Amino acid sequence: MNLIRLIILSLFVFTQTQADTIYNLIKIPNLEIYDIKTPNKLRYLYAKQPFTLGVDNNISCYNSEKKILDQKYKVIQKNLNRYNQNFLKKINLKYIVLCEDLSISKINTAGIPDNIMKTLILDIKFNEDYFERVIHHEVFHIINDNFKDIFSKKIWSSFNNEEFEYAKCSTCTDKLGLDTYTNTKGFFSEYSQSTASEDMAEVFSHLMIGVNLKNLDPILEKKIDFIKSNLLKIDNNFIL
Amino acid sequence: MIKKIKASRSEKIIFIFIIILALFSFGSFILIKDKCLFVKNYDPQKISFNNPKNIAILNVDCGNVIIELYPDISPKAVERFKRLVKSEAYNDIAFHRVIKDTLVQAGDLEFGKKGNLNYGKIGTGKSGLGTINSEIDAPFSFNKGSVGLVRTQKYNTEDSQFFIILRDEPLYETEYTPIGKVIYGLEALEKIKYLDKSQYVLRPDFINSLKMLIN
Repeated sequence: MNLIRLIILSLFVFTQTQADTIYNLIKIPNLEIYDIKTPNKLRYLYAKQPFTLGVDNNISCYNSEKKILDQKYKVIQKNLNRYNQNFLKKINLKYIVLCEDLSISKINTAGIPDNIMKTLILDIKFNEDYFERVIHHEVFHIINDNFKDIFSKKIWSSFNNEEFEYAKCSTCTDKLGLDTYTNTKGFFSEYSQSTASEDMAEVFSHLMIGVNLKNLDPILEKKIDFIKSNLLKIDNNFIL
Repeated sequence: MIKKIKASRSEKIIFIFIIILALFSFGSFILIKDKCLFVKNYDPQKISFNNPKNIAILNVDCGNVIIELYPDISPKAVERFKRLVKSEAYNDIAFHRVIKDTLVQAGDLEFGKKGNLNYGKIGTGKSGLGTINSEIDAPFSFNKGSVGLVRTQKYNTEDSQFFIILRDEPLYETEYTPIGKVIYGLEALEKIKYLDKSQYVLRPDFINSLKMLIN
């Protein structure tokens, strides 16, 4: 019995100290290593306990059951393994934080990218139906944040019909639907119509999961060309 | 006439107990006072090295810490480190940041010099040689005893400060520029002064000397 107590105590001491190292590196508390021996050198961390961060602690996320974490990790890793180490280095992505019920200012969100800290926080329970697509959507935000000049919002907006206008921000609109349109009319989903960067992320994520590219409208075709050609500027070996 | 009184058995036991207690107290006092008592001091002259040109000797209060440098892994960083060592710049510099059983950090040449410590700025000082680029691409296992150059939150800001880790830190690979590993005497670094409530040490321990085995 004492031996079991000792083992539990030593595990607690170990995890606390790892959390300190992780905090020093990416400034997010209460994290533990999930997996760092990955083919593309991404480092997967998970919330051992709930954490808050940001201005006035407006970002929060919670720890998950190990069973759910193990399930979702397989899906996440399968998708993120499509980005090679060289590409990830160029876009400045190194740490993936896995937690659930992620919110920013009490608004639930699928992910929070931070290209400065090379980190993407992912809500592993966000939208079960489109979970894989959402992963790539969030990766695009990291890409976009690193290459704002390449992914010009002005050029992007010019592809749309003249009368169309995006909202001021992604949370300033109720266009949040993620279902893929059968009749696209320039957009893959309702959420595409929120902001230019969300629209780009939706196009990118649809391409990554292999959407049917037949019968697309001319606007969307231009948008796809724009995304593809700009990705090749970042890495001429990038394969969609 | 003085009558001899024989000590009873219980009195003898109490007497022996007091003697043992006194010896124990005295011994403990010595042990507590001498933090280096069980630390082995390595003499580099009695050790044969494969590549003596890349051996640096860090002398601290508890003895010598022998570091092997890896110019093949981080040529620019090792070159900078050697240059500062050869100019004796690290002598009398504080271990200003120490985390118990985790790492020791030193090398602030501007604000960490003995007799001229600046507690408000320590950790931000420069060498005057400018910063160098991070060398983080080569595979390197940051095992216990690894030595790396300190940087700010940004890459390519390495200068003179270095750290030595007292436990394995796998996440440091591709984050920090490695320059070498402690091959003897890591125990001496485990005795460097630390504070429980702060990583930054008030009245810190100092590097006595840091020199290359062969100049």
